[in-house]
Amino acid sequence: MKPAAFEYVRAASLAEALAALDHDDAKVIAGGQSLVPMMNFRLAQPARLVDINAIPDLNRIEDAGTHVVIGALVRHAQAMCSDLLAARFPVVAEAMAHVAHLAIRNRGSIGGSLAHADPSAEWPLVVALLDGEIVVAGPDGERTAAAEDFFVAPLVTDLAEDEIVVAVRLPVPPAGCGMAFDEMSRRAGDFAIVSAGALVRVEDGVFAQVRLALGGVGDGPVRARAFEDALVGKPATPQAIAGCLDFAVEDLEPESDLHASAEYRLHLVGVLSGRVLERALARASGSAS
Amino acid sequence: MSRRVDIALTVNGEPVTESIEPRMLLSDFLRDRLALTGTHVGCEHGVCGACTVEIDGVSARACITFAVQADGSDIRTVEGLGTIAGMDRVQQAFRKHHALQCGYCTPGFLMTVRDLLRNHPLKTDDDIRDGLSGNICRCTGYEHIVRAVRELADERDGVRGDD
Amino acid sequence: MTERAFPSASGLAETRPKYVGKPVQRLEDPRLLTGAGRYAADIRLDRMVHAAFARSDQAHARIVSIDTDAARELPGVIGVFMAQDFPDLPAIIAPSRMRDYRATACAPLARDKVRYVGEPLAVVVATDRYIAEDALALIAVEWEPLDVAADPETALAGDAPLLHEELGTNLLFERVFETGEPDAAMRDAPLRVSGRFRMHRKSPLAMEPRCYVAEPDRARDALTLYGSTQVPGIIRDALTGLLGLPGSRIRVVAPDVGGGFGGKGSLYPEEIMVCVLARRLGRPVKWTSDRLEDLTSTSQGFDEIIDAELGFDTDGNLLALTGTVVGDVGAYSIYPWTAALEPVQVVSFLPGPYRIPHYRGAVRGVATPKPPTGPYRGVGRPAAVFVIERLIDMAAAKLGIDPADMRRANLVRAGEFPHRIGSGLVWDRSGFIECLDAACETVGYNELRTTQAEARAAGRWFGIGIASYAELTGIGSRISVAPGMPINTGTETASVRIDSTGAVTAVFAVASHGQSLETTLAQIVAEELGVRPQDVRIVHGDSAATSHGTGTYASRSAVLGGGAAILTARTLRDKVKRVASHLLEAGVEDIETGDGHVFVRGTDHGVSFAELAHAVYSDMKALPADKREILEAMETFDPVTGTTASATHIAAVEIDPGTLSVRIHRYVVAEDCGRLINPLVVDGQVHGGVAQGIGAALLEELRFDEAGQLLTASLADYTVPSAVEVPSMEVTHVETELPGNPGGFRGMGEGGAIGAPAAIANAISDALAPLGIEVSELPVTPERLFRLVQAVLGKGGRT
Repeated sequence: MKPAAFEYVRAASLAEALAALDHDDAKVIAGGQSLVPMMNFRLAQPARLVDINAIPDLNRIEDAGTHVVIGALVRHAQAMCSDLLAARFPVVAEAMAHVAHLAIRNRGSIGGSLAHADPSAEWPLVVALLDGEIVVAGPDGERTAAAEDFFVAPLVTDLAEDEIVVAVRLPVPPAGCGMAFDEMSRRAGDFAIVSAGALVRVEDGVFAQVRLALGGVGDGPVRARAFEDALVGKPATPQAIAGCLDFAVEDLEPESDLHASAEYRLHLVGVLSGRVLERALARASGSAS
Repeated sequence: MSRRVDIALTVNGEPVTESIEPRMLLSDFLRDRLALTGTHVGCEHGVCGACTVEIDGVSARACITFAVQADGSDIRTVEGLGTIAGMDRVQQAFRKHHALQCGYCTPGFLMTVRDLLRNHPLKTDDDIRDGLSGNICRCTGYEHIVRAVRELADERDGVRGDD
Repeated sequence: MTERAFPSASGLAETRPKYVGKPVQRLEDPRLLTGAGRYAADIRLDRMVHAAFARSDQAHARIVSIDTDAARELPGVIGVFMAQDFPDLPAIIAPSRMRDYRATACAPLARDKVRYVGEPLAVVVATDRYIAEDALALIAVEWEPLDVAADPETALAGDAPLLHEELGTNLLFERVFETGEPDAAMRDAPLRVSGRFRMHRKSPLAMEPRCYVAEPDRARDALTLYGSTQVPGIIRDALTGLLGLPGSRIRVVAPDVGGGFGGKGSLYPEEIMVCVLARRLGRPVKWTSDRLEDLTSTSQGFDEIIDAELGFDTDGNLLALTGTVVGDVGAYSIYPWTAALEPVQVVSFLPGPYRIPHYRGAVRGVATPKPPTGPYRGVGRPAAVFVIERLIDMAAAKLGIDPADMRRANLVRAGEFPHRIGSGLVWDRSGFIECLDAACETVGYNELRTTQAEARAAGRWFGIGIASYAELTGIGSRISVAPGMPINTGTETASVRIDSTGAVTAVFAVASHGQSLETTLAQIVAEELGVRPQDVRIVHGDSAATSHGTGTYASRSAVLGGGAAILTARTLRDKVKRVASHLLEAGVEDIETGDGHVFVRGTDHGVSFAELAHAVYSDMKALPADKREILEAMETFDPVTGTTASATHIAAVEIDPGTLSVRIHRYVVAEDCGRLINPLVVDGQVHGGVAQGIGAALLEELRFDEAGQLLTASLADYTVPSAVEVPSMEVTHVETELPGNPGGFRGMGEGGAIGAPAAIANAISDALAPLGIEVSELPVTPERLFRLVQAVLGKGGRT
């Protein structure tokens, strides 16, 4: 299990990185925690690797008031310990605790996780849940993509071959939102069979805002829009959540694979959705109805 | 074969310069180039943790890191911990509690435990187990490893143990 | 043994230290903790080159052609070799005296056809492993695919494609054990329970992948093989035949070995090929398995379908047991154990530690296009115990009696040993009931049942599972470890010497790969000889150090090695005393040894071992010629039949009704391995075994598709337990005496793995008893639990 040969380019700037990506078979490497295993299995054999770790300023978590910008080189461990993220999006640390293990979290980057696009991965789900935007740099400048546009299929994104994920922008939700994340995996740290993230806001005893994002059941993270629409306006109670859960699995067509059947995945969607929503509800301020 | 690149880094406090193929894994670099064979290779896809080393003070998998990416960094391997005559506290606790059998996964565990002790509260044994979950041991069933780490965490926190 | 006072060299009275039974810190540890261990992959030799194997990606296919031209031309490639390059190299054939056994011929590199995905086809030798793998990618194979029958029952059908055409069948062996009149007894039994049980295929998955380094010695026409093997003696003996060299010119060394669990206990094609290549090329050749190769080419374990029925009366007395086993043994019958090893042990041990007067166990081993199975920790017993313990619980439930009481009523009791079970195995005295009682006491069984009742009342799925079992360990010369196998696994010879500096070296043919034998054997030699453990150097794992030996497997090394250590150290101690009696001018009966010194009892008159050795070897004036003795002894120990070890495991689990994940709350083991040599080491072995058993029960499964392709080909998909999936464990020891055995040691290296699958299966079944769910397939993954629960509760289930 040794990787095939490649040419290595260490980019000192974004411009250098983009120039180096102007090549017919180049791939970006940051932490390498997903890419290098694939290269060791020779499932990925890029002719050129463009190392972006030395690019300045991509490893920052910045408070931009209405939103927070997380650089693509921010490591999972860094996000997990970030006071800023903890204050604005406590669900991030909750989700990060499920990302692999200590050593992987030390090195794996957020940009890498998004670009790798495993449909069970935590970061894509968090971005979808928080209505985040993925910031992509290319030869013609920057663009942003919403999660639902960015994640095209398992391990496939709409990233062009000469583009780099440089950041993710997470809009700060209104005050008083409750958030929660949970997942079911075979072992601690394994990729989730199904993951679920919820965000709710309660006004006057009813659900004013509801978001439910699901992982492991589609091409990428999935927002359960029908469920969200159904629950908004309902009394802010666990019973109301339970009453709407059938909407959570509506339109889902998960695949059966080695680790779980489609039926079990759908079952988990119901279970985990109920749990994260109840927990988010309990965490939402003004939830007393 | 691709163009070789020169790298300069510090390994266990000693400066090292080598010319390598970019595809050389850090685990192979340490073992084959530097003859630091204490870092073991267990899976080469980042799951088992046997190859865990410290890169710039935090634990990392050497088998899914290219040596070229470690250019300019400070690396510590098991050979950079205590010696046979003077084992460090983590090594001593592992010996005392019989936290190793075949010893193959052990260097990786030592590196993880160092990271846990530096950066994690480890209030409960479940916290310890969670922190160790990226390192697979097939011999010990983890029980004695958890006991060793419990003793180390309590010692760090000034808690008196049972013994 | 009682503690005796003796005077030290300083004249102060001291208690002679005892080492056996003490938690002595391991002598192996300092090197292993500092990165100074030396595993096979750490070995670097001058001019060494690296091998990589091209492997079949077909489960069953004829080889039309292998094109290696492009691979040969790659810079750095030294050669590419196929079967045709070694026309004289024999196939590996595992013989057996067993009736109805059909040996298979396994060519080290496939000839004509392949029989599993991962089978070696060709080997590249290059200057480094990276280049060797580049070359593998350039090898093109043209196949003629053959029909595949990956399922063992399909492979038994008359029209199934034959894996080994020359055998005319895929049935590699068939065996029946019968006692009494099982059919009549079953028919007449007032009550019966039965089931179809499935134990799925596992990988031993030692953390160190297999690695072999062959170093030729052109000057002597000799060869040294450094290999991650449990059985250097067996490998040496096999290589002499394959390479046509005498044993004196082949040395097989197992350096530090990173776990085995059975997976390093057989002869492998790669092991042969590095030797052959090293001789062909005249330079050292190294091959290190990567994890993917390990999952496809290291021997695999378990994999049986078992139909079993238990008959009993309304008082809970067991009357009859029948079992029919189909073993999916894979493509070849592995050397030396044969394909019969694992499946036959299932029926050998199926009656368990119980009194069951009528028994029939029938077993068939079927060749399938999958990697060969071989020994894996527990061998047959994890499946056997899973089945009988499930049946015992099902019977108890049918009768409405507590599972612990059901066992207590049927376990062989103290006065009933030796007891012959229906398969013919004989249990010698062991604490069957004592272990059950100790486990119940440790876990607080009655309180735990109360806790369960409360949990159930609250709607929680909480269960308690018991597994009691017995095993035959330290098997002696009257029985072979594997049925009919023409290899002596039943004796162990030790040699202990005091050299001219007074240092003690003890040589064994065992091969420690995590068992702590450098410590435990040193404890024994030290105690018997009168030195400290750290003064004893244990030599093991080196075929050149002994005239015969096999290695470490089958829970044998503490029993056989420990017994040989005692006998040998005592012989040497007698020599020491005879010499000392002359030097110290005292009667032999008055000489005492301890702490590296030799004394006249009750005086301060004595010499150190170093002084004694100097007198014997170097100071030719110290002793008259006829009083000089070579301070060396060699004795053989043979336990003849073996020793019975037993245990009871109790697990308490809770199932999340929503996710169907299983959490183990408590895990208690009470075991009887006789006298403990080192309690830390025994506990560690139990813990590790239980963790592997938990893997077998909940997580681990090598899954193949219908075409014979391995689907779980990484550690992300073949999931072994981490520290989170393994609970804290409590272990208690019942040290039943073992008369007539020098040390009183019983083997216990495998035990943990034997009890855990059954205990967990029973606990989960108990948790789901309100739904009437019985676990009969392991591992019982969340997916399988989901299906079981859905079948009862229907769509939606509980959240």
